[in-house]
Amino acid sequence: MSLVAAKIPEIQLEHVEMRYQTETADVLALHQVSLDIAKGEFVSLLGPSGCGKTTLLRLMADLITPTAGNIMVAGKNAKEARLAQKYGIVFQSPVLYDWRKVKHNITLPLELLGVKKSIREDKALELLDLVGLQGFADKYPWQLSGGMQQRVAIARALSMEPEILLMDEPFSALDEFTRERLNEELLSVWSKVQSTIVFVTHSIPESIFLSDRVFVLSPHPGRLSAVVDIPLPRPRTADMRNSPEFFELIARIRDSFEGV
Amino acid sequence: MKLNRALMRNRALPLFVWICGLLVLWEAVSWWLLHVAKTPLAQSKLPYVHEVALTLWQYSGTLFREGGATFGNAGVGFLIGALSGVLLAVLMSLSRTIEQLAFPYAVASQMIPILGLAPIIYGIMRDEQLSRIIISGYITFFPVALNMLRGLRSVDPSALELMHSYAAKPWAVYWKLRFPAALPGLFSGLKIAAPLAVTGAILVELMGAQRGIGVIMLRNLYYGPSHTYMFWSTVLVGALLGMASYWLMSLVERLVAPWQPEFRPQGGSR
Repeated sequence: MSLVAAKIPEIQLEHVEMRYQTETADVLALHQVSLDIAKGEFVSLLGPSGCGKTTLLRLMADLITPTAGNIMVAGKNAKEARLAQKYGIVFQSPVLYDWRKVKHNITLPLELLGVKKSIREDKALELLDLVGLQGFADKYPWQLSGGMQQRVAIARALSMEPEILLMDEPFSALDEFTRERLNEELLSVWSKVQSTIVFVTHSIPESIFLSDRVFVLSPHPGRLSAVVDIPLPRPRTADMRNSPEFFELIARIRDSFEGV
Repeated sequence: MKLNRALMRNRALPLFVWICGLLVLWEAVSWWLLHVAKTPLAQSKLPYVHEVALTLWQYSGTLFREGGATFGNAGVGFLIGALSGVLLAVLMSLSRTIEQLAFPYAVASQMIPILGLAPIIYGIMRDEQLSRIIISGYITFFPVALNMLRGLRSVDPSALELMHSYAAKPWAVYWKLRFPAALPGLFSGLKIAAPLAVTGAILVELMGAQRGIGVIMLRNLYYGPSHTYMFWSTVLVGALLGMASYWLMSLVERLVAPWQPEFRPQGGSR
């Protein structure tokens, strides 16, 4: 994986710094973050709250601009990548539009791109199939459980076939059982779409189970404190969570936190 | 569905009993005022319900025609007022400068008493229909603009970021996100404004007009005690027009924005 990363980084950050100006103080949210993510790689940004992991994701998504440093996404700068629709994003809450049926929520990005209606409808059904929500096309978001809503949000992010999927703690509001099941489903979806995934989480086991590499961030100021390779074979299975290797990785990541 | 129907039955019965009780009480007090207390002008104070109902029935044609004239003008004014309210709300949501320029005047406009404004408008226009339309529109405009603006601003920040991440054009953000999200606000504005628009139209008619429910209301008030039942009938019709306008807005809301939490079936939420 690291060999590929050296060749064509899909996402590249160089000395990225993010400062916020509040009324009382000048906050350094991220300090000198440099990292490369390879095409097709699944990486997690892991850390406690306040470490800047969500800020880092929002920088990649061009929802905010860094105060210093350089961000390249799919060979373009972050803004160009956003305008070229290179990535799909999934937020902590599903952010579905209440007035749209499930299928129309999923095809919203395609609608904005001017894709024909018949193609959109086909795509919606295909994606519902992919995320395991067959038969829910004509439901409204509020008729679905929290886990199902988040799956709709994933389907929506995948609808324009993005090269990169940015996910900001997408399962953190769900119960442990649903979260673990959705982790497994996400991996199976990923194996089919082959996009690069950047996954923000504060759960150590979740980051290990999903990722090729885990970027560990520490707070005050937010910074990259370690990069941990996850050598677990793929496809990953639920019972790997109980393997000694898994626990070893948990311990290693826990040790790599600084100043928490 | 079954649950829904049961609820309706449970709600309908108390309402029926309540209305019947009220009617009986009304008739009793009315009789007492007239025959026991022997109050002067007893029937003007609290007329027999059955007499008013009879008058309503006998003069239903006239009342319907005049009520229709009032309702029609109020409706046109309401539509114009609602449209300009929505337009101003959109402009204010687009630019803080426009909001700072326009908002104080919009508020100030609502400080002018309608009772004083109506004769001025009538004096300028010299046309009762036009005056009714203007006053109804004038009343409608403010609550609609205020509630619509609030709706446009109340959009979930993440929903906006989502649109931003799709590189959506500003008009698409309005059309596909801000407008639908503002509909509940818009309809609360419309539901406040609709009965007020009717009241406003009736008020203009009291200033001197040829047609409308307000005209026969005033006329029968002048005629005195002999026309008290007719006067009460016009008041009732005025109230009914106001209610009808509210119901109409509620109905349109159900058709246009049926996805709102309050329209969801009981126990059907996650």
